[in-house]
Amino acid sequence: MKIVMDGKEVAAERGQTIVEVARRNGVYIPTLCHVPALEPAAMCRICTVELAEGRRSRLVTACNYPLRSDAEIHTDTPLLRQNRKVLIELLASRCPGSETLRELAERYGADLNRFPAEDRQCIMCGLCARVCERVGGNVLALCGRGVEIRVDTSFGRLSPTCIACTACVQICPVNAIRFEDVDGERRVIVRGKEASRVPLRRCTSCGARFGPVIDLVPVLERAGESGVPPFNASVCPACSRRNLARRLAERHFEQHAVEPRDAGEES
Amino acid sequence: MSESEAICCQEPEVDFVVLDRIIHEEFGGRREKMIMMMQTIQRHYRYLPEPALYYLAQVLGVPLTKIYEVATFYASFSLVPKGKHLLHVCTGTACHLRGSGGMVRHVAAKLGIAPGGTTPDMKFTLETVNCLGACAVAPVVVYDDKYYPQANVGKLNEFIEKANAD
Amino acid sequence: MATATSVVPDLAWTKKISSPHELADYRQALLAGMDPDAPCIRVCCGTGCKAVGSLDVLEAMKAAVAAAGVDVKVMPEVKRTGCHGFCSRGPLLTFQPQGLFYQRVTPGDAAEIIQKTAVGGELIPRLLYKPPGAKEPIAKVGDIPFFAKQTKVVLQRVGRIDPFDIRDAIAAGAYEGLAKVLSGMTPQQVIEEIKTSRLRGRGGAGFPTGIKWESCAAQPGRHYVICNGDEGDPGAFMDASVMEGDPHAVLEGMAIAAYAMGSDRGFLYVRLEYPLAVQTLAAAIRQAEDLGLIGRNIMGTDFSFRTSISTGAGAFVCGESSALMSSLEGKVGRPRAKYIRSTEKGFRDSPSNLNNVETYANVPAIILRGGPWYTSYGTERSAGTKVFSLTGNVHNVGLVEVPMGTSLREIVYGIGGGIPNKKELKAVQTGGPSGGCIPIPSKFLDINVGFGKLAEIGSMMGSGGMIVMDENTCMVEVSRYFINFLVEESCGQCTPCREGLTRMKETLTRITVGEGREGDIEMLEEIGTFTNSFSLCGLGTSAANPVLSTIKYFREEYDAHIHDKKCPAGVCKPLFYYEIDPETCTGCGLCRKRCPAAAVEGEKKKPHTIHQELCIKCMECYRSCKFDSIRIK
Repeated sequence: MKIVMDGKEVAAERGQTIVEVARRNGVYIPTLCHVPALEPAAMCRICTVELAEGRRSRLVTACNYPLRSDAEIHTDTPLLRQNRKVLIELLASRCPGSETLRELAERYGADLNRFPAEDRQCIMCGLCARVCERVGGNVLALCGRGVEIRVDTSFGRLSPTCIACTACVQICPVNAIRFEDVDGERRVIVRGKEASRVPLRRCTSCGARFGPVIDLVPVLERAGESGVPPFNASVCPACSRRNLARRLAERHFEQHAVEPRDAGEES
Repeated sequence: MSESEAICCQEPEVDFVVLDRIIHEEFGGRREKMIMMMQTIQRHYRYLPEPALYYLAQVLGVPLTKIYEVATFYASFSLVPKGKHLLHVCTGTACHLRGSGGMVRHVAAKLGIAPGGTTPDMKFTLETVNCLGACAVAPVVVYDDKYYPQANVGKLNEFIEKANAD
Repeated sequence: MATATSVVPDLAWTKKISSPHELADYRQALLAGMDPDAPCIRVCCGTGCKAVGSLDVLEAMKAAVAAAGVDVKVMPEVKRTGCHGFCSRGPLLTFQPQGLFYQRVTPGDAAEIIQKTAVGGELIPRLLYKPPGAKEPIAKVGDIPFFAKQTKVVLQRVGRIDPFDIRDAIAAGAYEGLAKVLSGMTPQQVIEEIKTSRLRGRGGAGFPTGIKWESCAAQPGRHYVICNGDEGDPGAFMDASVMEGDPHAVLEGMAIAAYAMGSDRGFLYVRLEYPLAVQTLAAAIRQAEDLGLIGRNIMGTDFSFRTSISTGAGAFVCGESSALMSSLEGKVGRPRAKYIRSTEKGFRDSPSNLNNVETYANVPAIILRGGPWYTSYGTERSAGTKVFSLTGNVHNVGLVEVPMGTSLREIVYGIGGGIPNKKELKAVQTGGPSGGCIPIPSKFLDINVGFGKLAEIGSMMGSGGMIVMDENTCMVEVSRYFINFLVEESCGQCTPCREGLTRMKETLTRITVGEGREGDIEMLEEIGTFTNSFSLCGLGTSAANPVLSTIKYFREEYDAHIHDKKCPAGVCKPLFYYEIDPETCTGCGLCRKRCPAAAVEGEKKKPHTIHQELCIKCMECYRSCKFDSIRIK
């Protein structure tokens, strides 16, 4: 299989997507809704490239197009640059102030203020909903349809199934999801609106709040790790480290018959 | 789930025997038939009551978000109760060319509701439909399941007056 | 389907047909029991006629026959049929065997029809059809240009048979194609026949059906045969009429497809807004199963094919193949972003063949009469016939089947009877929201309608909606209408379609209220090109067609809106007002009576005036005026 990308022949394996091949060969293709860990959804369309297989030339999305035969790919033609520019300008109107979009705008000469801003704090890449389905508790989904599609919880209520894993917080490219730990609860806040409240464990050793109280069994099942015993600590990670250190020290001093110093006073 | 229980208590009108009949007898409890189950539930209650969807999620073993997604995606589903009288205005191309858009705007302005909305007294719901396939007699409206060919603003005023007089 | 049971004959007691040959015997027996010269009244009960009360006419006719109760020999049979096609003249009926055509029939006419026509053999002139401009009415169906100029292949039985009685369909030749297939053709031969016919998908994309079947058949695993009855284009009702008028053609076509691809399971995905189609199909499936024509061991052979109906839930995008399959699986109907054909991995990740209603309905005739016969209709690139729903500003609104390659002139003027109210033809819109507006009058009136030709001029065949627009149609408003439709019907997942449509709608709305700006047209073109090239599914990649085609052909209208703040067609409300011409106004008072806002004032027989501040511009006065005195300014 011979793959030519922007004029250079590149190494590729059958079935690899164009983005995979590009990344491996150091060719830049912009993406907004793609992370390698999740099945590509081709929603943002910014990764669209020109592909010629045989005589036919067409536009395909690089994130999910599997290469199966000889192909010639152009990742940065004037046509692509022009359309990417429009795409960024359109997205900027619904998510002004996004650092990610500002960087892309610079690259493609897009005017971030071309269209009147209507701040929805979201570029609808759908990553949060996809990661939530994959590792979380099926809390966030793409609700509604048409241009009014939005990320929301069922009935817009606090979700009873959230495991407060905060994967959505980590994955959002425009930082529209955050979490805060207050009053013994973890609150996941999507575009300024609370999506869930999950109680946090209290450390039996120091009394501090840590990690959410959740049933991990379904999560492990979904991740294909059903045999793994769920994590069920009652001590926070800091205390757990401290306790371990103390035990090791005690053993050391027992063996060498030296009076132990108080471990708690270590800095 | 404490939340779902709380909601079920708020809306006791959902009859689980009815739901079981729809889910199991009519559609064999098959996940693929979920959309048709929801349609049947909607026909029964004239909307999709929240507890019914919680129950559906439990019985089918489908995450509630997936059901909520479906309920908000398809235009025919409603999560809020409909009014006593239902007016559908066809906004297909043929009807549009003969002024159905103006009729929708007229009713919406007169009742102070948007298309898809219901008056606060629950008497009247205004909806639009993309095409009823009766283009020859455009513009068409359907009021309480009866077709009215070649409708006009005057006709719609009659419906509103009649509904208000009820 | 409780409402339909009362009219559906129960055939569960009938012996199943146990060989393909036996079907012919069964049909002969049915025909022997029928007198071809016996009077029969076919009352159209398609959706269009139903909307104007044809069911009441049907009941009245039956009652009239019962009440007449005279000589049993001449008592006509009153038959409920599907759409006759001539929707704008409904409710209508035909009187067999003479082939008389009565239109605009009311229940009150029933007794007279029975007494005069059935018993006395006289015509009732008032119920006859008179073409616009003609002096004499036309009595017979075959002499009416609307019918005479059509070629019926798909619609051959629609409007002739009772869709709720399979025996009527069998007597008229239903399932003969399936019997032929089962009495000796191999699946490969079936596919070859379809390939020879050069049948192309009637749903819009026009993919060659035979090639699709072949590639699906070549895949391993369980195959599914799916029928797309989610006809969502506003202004299109061809598929509805086929499903309502001759459901057996669809079922037979699906069964033949299943045989060709080695499938045993089919699904019909029917639009929710078509309750009558669901009823007729459900009845047809049950009766066909009772007779052993669908189901296990069809006609006593090893071939089994079960099929069931799923209804949509109101989403235009579910007409797209991958979205339809998601919806069939009970999921959200968003198109899937996968570079794999559904013939490889579709419904339930198995090879699935999806065709549109009309495509399947073509299949039995092709099998029966052969591929070469089919190619004798139509053109080189587009073989066969195509059903159009002709609507909008045209005299004869209805269902029209013509050979591919027929000119627009023939369809609009020959069959459609031209434009009413002495208006000028301005454009023809084809292909629904994904299509474009073809400007007329110009060189395009003589264009031959087919897959390639329409695409060449920036429109598309689509599923067959054909909307005729007269001079009172504002093209800017039309494109705003279609964009608004798509804004609501887009699935919303991909950026170009979602954001591009939002922006185009916002811009077009601005233009239609007189707030258009310099550069708006260029911006629409830029966004439109972007949307059409970067979107995910077929809906998105054609979404800008209405905008791009109207800019291409009617740019001056956009200019008038933007620069002169005028709507030349008198549609965009803030950009025009109505005025009564005092010279021609006779003071008849009709507009005053019709005006819902009481904005018209004037004494009887003296010129009237319109209070501009009260006028809601609903067009009532304009349309009702018999003297053309209301002017658009």
